Amino acid sequence: MVAAVDTSTMKIAETNTGIVIAVRGANVWKQKENYRYTRLGPFIFHITEENRKDIFNTLEKAYFTPTRDQNRQTAPTLQQMPTRIAGLLERWLQAMLTKTMNGGLILFDGSLTSGTTDTPIRRMKEILDNGRDRKNTVLAFSKMTNLRVNGCLITDFALDHRPPYLLQTLGLRLKPPMVTLGDVYVAKLSKGNCAFRLDIDHQIPPESRIEAVEKLLGNDLISQSYPETLRLAHILCTFTANEVLAMQHFITRKCGLQIINRPDMHRLLFGSFGKGENYS
Amino acid sequence: MKLYRKEGNIVQILSFPNETVEKGDYLLVEDGEAEKALIVQVIDVQFATIPGVLEELLRSLPDGGELIQGEDVDPLEIASHITYIQDASLLVCKIRATVENEYLNPSSSWLPSRSQSTIKKLPIPTLLQLAKTNGNLPINLGTAKDSSPFTIDASSLDGRLNIITGKKETGKSHLSKLLMVNLVQYKATVVVFDLNGEYLSLGMTTDGKRNVNYDKIHVLTPSQNFKVALKQVNLHVLLGILVHALHLPGTSAREFRRIWKELREKDQLTLHELGEAIRNWNCNQHVRDALFSRFHALVNSSFFTDNIAEATLLEESLVKAKDHGGAVIINLRNTSTIDRQIVVEYILGKLVESLTSWKLKAAFLFAEEAHLYLRETYWDDIVTRMRHFGIFTTFITNQPDTIRENIYRQADNIFLFNFTNEHDLDVVSRAARVDAETVRSIARDLPPHHCLTLGKVVRDFPIVARVKALDIKTMGETRLFFAG
Repeated sequence: MVAAVDTSTMKIAETNTGIVIAVRGANVWKQKENYRYTRLGPFIFHITEENRKDIFNTLEKAYFTPTRDQNRQTAPTLQQMPTRIAGLLERWLQAMLTKTMNGGLILFDGSLTSGTTDTPIRRMKEILDNGRDRKNTVLAFSKMTNLRVNGCLITDFALDHRPPYLLQTLGLRLKPPMVTLGDVYVAKLSKGNCAFRLDIDHQIPPESRIEAVEKLLGNDLISQSYPETLRLAHILCTFTANEVLAMQHFITRKCGLQIINRPDMHRLLFGSFGKGENYS
Repeated sequence: MKLYRKEGNIVQILSFPNETVEKGDYLLVEDGEAEKALIVQVIDVQFATIPGVLEELLRSLPDGGELIQGEDVDPLEIASHITYIQDASLLVCKIRATVENEYLNPSSSWLPSRSQSTIKKLPIPTLLQLAKTNGNLPINLGTAKDSSPFTIDASSLDGRLNIITGKKETGKSHLSKLLMVNLVQYKATVVVFDLNGEYLSLGMTTDGKRNVNYDKIHVLTPSQNFKVALKQVNLHVLLGILVHALHLPGTSAREFRRIWKELREKDQLTLHELGEAIRNWNCNQHVRDALFSRFHALVNSSFFTDNIAEATLLEESLVKAKDHGGAVIINLRNTSTIDRQIVVEYILGKLVESLTSWKLKAAFLFAEEAHLYLRETYWDDIVTRMRHFGIFTTFITNQPDTIRENIYRQADNIFLFNFTNEHDLDVVSRAARVDAETVRSIARDLPPHHCLTLGKVVRDFPIVARVKALDIKTMGETRLFFAG
């Protein structure tokens, strides 16, 4: 079985005291010929300077055992809250998958880098350990990477080799306290221009890693070097404009908030020369 | 519902799924502050352009067109709001009038407030009341879209040119029967050119019993119970038949006039004497041949007789109809094209004669598929000259392009049934009393037995109505090969 996890977040409104955000996550798995999904959310939060700490700590305590380091940490800022809450949901979905699946391939969106504020080493390690205990292999695909060799992005190396292939990177060093719990590869799984950074749990023997990628090639559709299961997870959790309207409709009805379009300062000041805040 | 935009006399209204509005419905856009309201009619219902809908639809179909199966854990029940937004529709409406102090004004020159206006459905009875379509001679046509009774006034058909059109088996003849029966009940004189014998049983109920109209329906079948003696025919009526139906050239017509005058002076106006007179008349051989061929056509039609007792006077039926109201049905079924034209020429000539001499006050003429028997020049006659004599015509056709464009332009009322063919819709949309968009958009989606009523009967407020059933024995059904 191939399974994938992804989450997304969206700011749907601003209030006098804070922001209203929506978070959604999706698990997609391919069983035999069919794709199936479980989608959680959207969950809507009104986050203010006053409640951000409570919201974050409540969610974290509810779903994970806080680490010693974390207890000392401060809550994310208001601007960081959407991605941090989405990150919590994503890690929880990943943890659930690694605890429930047996002998499958689990695809993550992103890398296996940990030691960051949103991904403590212990939490990522726990997820990978759980997966390994149940004979699962975690493959983490990053759409973007900053890893460079001789100034070039590792995904830009064009090998004179017919895909599919994996290019292993060696001697990678991250800035402490960040560490990577996987070995990093450049994966070009099908024809086309795209190649991705692929992290594979480094506690898995090298031959099993190759075998896992071979299984992925044999059991999932690969388009532009990207697995369909992960693509679907991304598609299913992404918010469309229609859904944003629906959520605004929901908060208008349920909370009596009136949605007003905030004046676009760029347009206001620069007229037709202002491209709008989204382009700034 | 929310007012979205206005362009010319088109208004776009945003409608949500819990508001059921269909094509043809009327809406009242009320601006409380301006103390005015717009009456608009929905002519099209479209999906509202909601951003992200395409993505929404695409992501549910990733697997070779099959829906991806899954479970949504949606504790806040946002999905219902998504559906609500996604299913919002855009109502394209045509402005029909402005209501100010309960008076209607066709103007659409003002703009109601987008934020403050309230929009609600306008019930058809209220609309008809506002439009003052009610009169003393109601004809109940059936029900409007909101199931309220839909009534027109018989006086709005009086002196008018009407067209009933629509594709086959949509209910045109049914409506014409309904109008006819109601006119007869108001003591009107009705003449019907019945091409397929559909109106012969207007006096019978569905179970074959006589109905209240039985004595008022006079069926005349040419060459059977409807024959004419030459003595009863005026020269100009017969010349009309010879020239227009039988295409007699002018020179020959002059000779015929002389023969006729001589026979009339001798009181010898019989078919036999006419034949003899042509044979012995001193004239050019070509003229004689021309006259003979037409004479034989008259004889072969069996419509003319020398036996006065055998001749049924059309006038008698018309007089009966004049006194008590009645319909004279001219059964043209099983009549050849030439004979049909002879009969129609005779009847129209006779009608004009009766009306000019005030033997008849006025007559409602119902003509089914008139292009099959009406000569070219009569079309203009009917809409201009004959109207002044008191012949008020209703054309019934499933081929709208057989009626000339000028007839549509001058039509006072149009009862339009379903058409799907663009060409047919184009033809009808040339009518002066309605805009082309309304005709094209609404007529295309009309279900059977529903008609779009346009014109003076509805004071130019197009109304969709379901024509009611009639307890009349149906005739003229299609004969089927496979019917059990």
